[in-house]
Amino acid sequence: MGGGAPLLHLMLGGLGALLTLSTPSTLARLVGSWMNLGLQGYEVWRNPQIYLIGAQPLCTQIPGLSAGQKKLCQLYQDHMGSVGRGAKTGIHECQWQFRHRRWNCSTVDDSTVFGPVLQIPSREAAFAHAVASAGVVHSVSRSCRDGQLSTCGCSPARRPKDLNKEWIWGGCGDNVEYGYKFTQGFVDVREREKNYKRGSLRQGRQLMNLHNNEAGRRAVIRKTRVNCKCHGVSGSCSLITCWQQLASFREVGDLLKDKYDGATEVKINRRGKLQVKHPQYNVPTGEDLVYLHESPDYCKRNNTVGSLGTQGRICNKTSQGMDGCGLLCCGRGYNSQKVTVRERCQCKFHWCCVVECKTCFRVIDLHTCK
Amino acid sequence: MAGAIIENLSGRKLGILIMFLLLCQVVCFLVGALIAPAPSSVLSVLGTKCVDKQYSREKWYYPRGKGRCLHRISNPQDPEVAKQGISANHIIFTFQIPSPKDNQILDYSRWQQNLIAMMHLDILYKEEEAEFDPNALMTIEARLGYRNKGDPDDRWTEYATSTEERILDCSISPEHRKAEYMYNCSSVPLFELGSLHHDFYLLNIRLPIHTPKEPRDHPTNVYLGALTDMWVAFIHQNGGFTKVWVSLKTVFFPTIVSIMVWFWRRISHLARPPLLLEYMLMVLGAALTLLNCPLEYLTLAFDCPWMTVVSDIRQGLFYASLLSFWLIFTGEHLMDDIERNNVRAYWRHLSAVLGGCLCLFIFDMCERGVQLSNPFYSIWVTEIGTNLALAFIILAGVCAGLYFCFLSYMIWKVFINISKKRQSLPAMSSTRRLHYEGVIYRFKVLMLATLLCAAMTIIGFILGQVSEGQWSWDENIKLEYTSAFFTGVYGMWNVYTFALICLYAPSHKRWPKDQDTQSSTGEEIEFSRLATEPSEMSSITAYVTKAATD
Repeated sequence: MGGGAPLLHLMLGGLGALLTLSTPSTLARLVGSWMNLGLQGYEVWRNPQIYLIGAQPLCTQIPGLSAGQKKLCQLYQDHMGSVGRGAKTGIHECQWQFRHRRWNCSTVDDSTVFGPVLQIPSREAAFAHAVASAGVVHSVSRSCRDGQLSTCGCSPARRPKDLNKEWIWGGCGDNVEYGYKFTQGFVDVREREKNYKRGSLRQGRQLMNLHNNEAGRRAVIRKTRVNCKCHGVSGSCSLITCWQQLASFREVGDLLKDKYDGATEVKINRRGKLQVKHPQYNVPTGEDLVYLHESPDYCKRNNTVGSLGTQGRICNKTSQGMDGCGLLCCGRGYNSQKVTVRERCQCKFHWCCVVECKTCFRVIDLHTCK
Repeated sequence: MAGAIIENLSGRKLGILIMFLLLCQVVCFLVGALIAPAPSSVLSVLGTKCVDKQYSREKWYYPRGKGRCLHRISNPQDPEVAKQGISANHIIFTFQIPSPKDNQILDYSRWQQNLIAMMHLDILYKEEEAEFDPNALMTIEARLGYRNKGDPDDRWTEYATSTEERILDCSISPEHRKAEYMYNCSSVPLFELGSLHHDFYLLNIRLPIHTPKEPRDHPTNVYLGALTDMWVAFIHQNGGFTKVWVSLKTVFFPTIVSIMVWFWRRISHLARPPLLLEYMLMVLGAALTLLNCPLEYLTLAFDCPWMTVVSDIRQGLFYASLLSFWLIFTGEHLMDDIERNNVRAYWRHLSAVLGGCLCLFIFDMCERGVQLSNPFYSIWVTEIGTNLALAFIILAGVCAGLYFCFLSYMIWKVFINISKKRQSLPAMSSTRRLHYEGVIYRFKVLMLATLLCAAMTIIGFILGQVSEGQWSWDENIKLEYTSAFFTGVYGMWNVYTFALICLYAPSHKRWPKDQDTQSSTGEEIEFSRLATEPSEMSSITAYVTKAATD
């Protein structure tokens, strides 16, 4: 791994398209997110040709991409399906990780993806950026490996003059590396497009996004497993070849969740660099998440910050944790009702595709926050 | 072996020769470090899951090009898949290699020499009960085909087909026992090709199950659980490395051959018949020549699947002759005044070498030999095969241990004798002194050189195991360490053999004339204990014992 900073830019880079929300209370101009790619229907990516009729290609029609990202999108159209799938994976993972939290990573139906709440440079924004950029690394690396992306580079470090000769001479680099490099280019580009005043909050936000994007990408690399094969004389280990194996994305999500719990609060200084806000804490590494502001109150619905509130959320009466009714409902109390649920149970799983399940009916107490 | 060149060469000439050899050694190392790429590369490919409800063994399924399979699934656990009535028998994992890069269709080159495939399965942990056994026996129906440049996209020719069994080795740590986590499964060897003769390869793999109609007394592939993806890592030698390697061989081959010719002409000009050690030097040279012979050129024109077996054998022969040479060299320098000069005198020691090599040869033939007919074969998959392979390897290890005991014992004895002779040296006549000094000198030089070479090899090997394979000097200069290790070690043993043949050849020079007036040519021959008359030896023995007691 090279220096940490350039790697961090993947996820939230697509915030370029400016969308002015009509809500009168919204003060800031909200920017769309490239993660919007993840919310596009699968059909768009499966059959991009239908969107290419006329002079307006698909890339300019998706809100949320920045100018640079639109260019990259046009250059690497076959990658966009993977980027979209990656963003989707990231968003799903975010929702799974935060399913018991006050903020549950809910998406809204516009190009900002998560709504105005992530315009606040909070811990949650840090996580969202990291997990989406991780999703793209994961997905691009995967697509590269099944040979569906024709443009997976060979060794991005030194562009070969004649690819075929280069391939015969020295083989090709790992595709996880390619996924990482591509994601870096695509997600981080939006944070580099605009120059804000040094030391301003906006510049701080850029740096924060870049850092968290990198942390997400590194989480994927960190979780890859290395497999090796000895194939020297008579199969001895005088010659070993190793390659990387992607872990399941849940593992990456869990790692990032840990990083979220240990995220560091930083501030932007006058020289335009991030620095730790409370000097007693350690300086974050390239794999840690950083945030600028404390999270808003997610308890009550607040359209100004975009918080949906926890009213109506299902909580766990017996739990003492975040999903417990006490914490999740922010002390407002909860309603209980008995409901009968129908669910699959005693499932038996057969390779490849057969799941034999029974259907069970259970009566459960459902608690929802007031 | 009286009066080898090494004893009679002047210090200046010896210095020049050693400098030259060292230079060759450094050049070999740098060629590997700076010019050659890494010895091998990996192409890790994710299998495309093609679906065909009318699966036929005669049909090829491939993900790219004209006639590619159109019905694919991404996740077998998707309820949609079950709804469509797809079963494991309809799913074919396809791997079309090499993958395209940068909008170019790449093809394999014959310079890339060989292909090894390792399979890796992604199996999800299911909280629901899945029929999964972490050490399940998989039945794999595998089919390997090839296509050449200029062939139409759909013309795949069968290369090998086989139904193989492999044992899964999966585990999951308790903290990872949650949904969406994957089992940690180790890679399974799939096939090995000794030659990469064709341009494109296609691998079709099916993990069939018995249909309800068929009898299920021996359930196949039932315990595979939530298998979602199959990866295959294809390892090939890098073309650049082959080029550098073959070039080295092309240079070494004539060099060693010519030094051997020179050596043999020198011996045949002597009045006496060649000594055992001289024969051994020739054997060592011949084994190295066999190893140096750039047979790899053949693979560029012909399909030579036997190439890996042949290179294993060549390497084995070289090791065997090197080990035997050390033994016999030490034995001939024992200075215990027992006439040997005969291979039969070393049968116990040599049988350790031969036994070890034979074990490794049998093991190699069981694995790579059988792979000639079925590339999917692996000795490690069955329990009997594993035990057999282990038995041979352990036996070879025992032989190696035995050999080193013999060798260390003999070296120890030589050193004891050396210190004994040292004490009696001043009392000897100058010719005898020169003879023994020569023996001691020859032995010590070889000992030093051998230890140095062996230590360098071992250190290099260990460094290679701990390092990342690529060392960076600065931003611009990247050292390819693994390649440098290979070319360096290869060059080193060539230089070593060259030096041995060159320096241990018999010298034309007489004993230096200014040394002592007492010495005469007649006396020299008489005192050479390696000369043919044993009666003369006993008199020397008597003399030495007397000198020692004095």
